Amino acid sequence: MTAEIHHCKECVDLLGEYIEGTLPPDRAKALEDHLSLCPPCITFVRTYKATRKLCHHALVRDMPRELMHSLSSFLAERVPGFKRSEDETVAAPAADSEPKKV
Amino acid sequence: MLYGRAPLPEIHEITPEEPRADGQPGDRELVEKAQKGDGAAFAMLVERHQRQLYRLALRMTGSEADAQEVLQEAFLNAYQKLPLFRGEAQFSSWLYRIAANSALMRLRRKRRAPDALADQPLELAGPKFSAEGYLEPTSSSDWSQRADERMMSGQLGAAINKAVDELPEDYRTVFLLKDVDGLSNEDIATALDLTIPAVKSRLHRARLALREKLGEFFDEPAK
Ligand SMILES: [Zn+2]
Repeated sequence: MTAEIHHCKECVDLLGEYIEGTLPPDRAKALEDHLSLCPPCITFVRTYKATRKLCHHALVRDMPRELMHSLSSFLAERVPGFKRSEDETVAAPAADSEPKKV
Repeated sequence: MLYGRAPLPEIHEITPEEPRADGQPGDRELVEKAQKGDGAAFAMLVERHQRQLYRLALRMTGSEADAQEVLQEAFLNAYQKLPLFRGEAQFSSWLYRIAANSALMRLRRKRRAPDALADQPLELAGPKFSAEGYLEPTSSSDWSQRADERMMSGQLGAAINKAVDELPEDYRTVFLLKDVDGLSNEDIATALDLTIPAVKSRLHRARLALREKLGEFFDEPAK
């Protein structure tokens, strides 16, 4: 039984599931029906998605290479047969890199 | 909704391991080798999972130095516990759990009263609705079109950092792990010992609060 969405609040409540694609099809349909009639909710969806995108862009961090090296050295000293995979592939250290404790 | 301890993660049926797109051996095969003492197989597992584990450790501890120690401890711990690992769970989830425990212990040692945080009053911003449940105009200005142009602005970056820092910790961690680092709801639930509905609810509320803050930023006249 599909219940229609009359209020923006219901629409906003379902948004997380909707953009993840985990909303049951009848609820997704009801949400889309509401969106087709409600410009403020369309704007809301846009800004909700933009929030995720901007935050991702501003805050994403990759593991620093030096940390990979130090983790690898740490484990190589403690795990028999642990192969430090980056050792062979690493080029000569850049001039500004700190010497690592051996 | 209950915020109690999460039950054990759903048990996945043991099915044959899917081949990986990159042609590398799957986690399960590497785990079996590592369990028999193959250190190179363990090294491949470390290489494969270290980035996501780093993000988890960084988000939970908030410090690079702590993240480094958490990572060392977690992988060493995982190696030592490897004989106990059984194939029902995903290896990655199991690792997340170990790393999360290590991060939590570290946080507890640093702060004397970790549980006080759970009780802190929650004042998260969110959209405004009329009594009838319609969005108020103030909650629906469309700044999304301007988001790209100003994407690289240092002011925007600073505003985002500030807004995220102001989120209550439980919400911030879930948000960062999901929307910034791309972990699955299941892995976040396992690592943080939450139910999946609790993860989804925190995530949604964090996004709503951040959306408000970004709206304020974009509605301010450009400086
Ligand atoms: Zn609406």
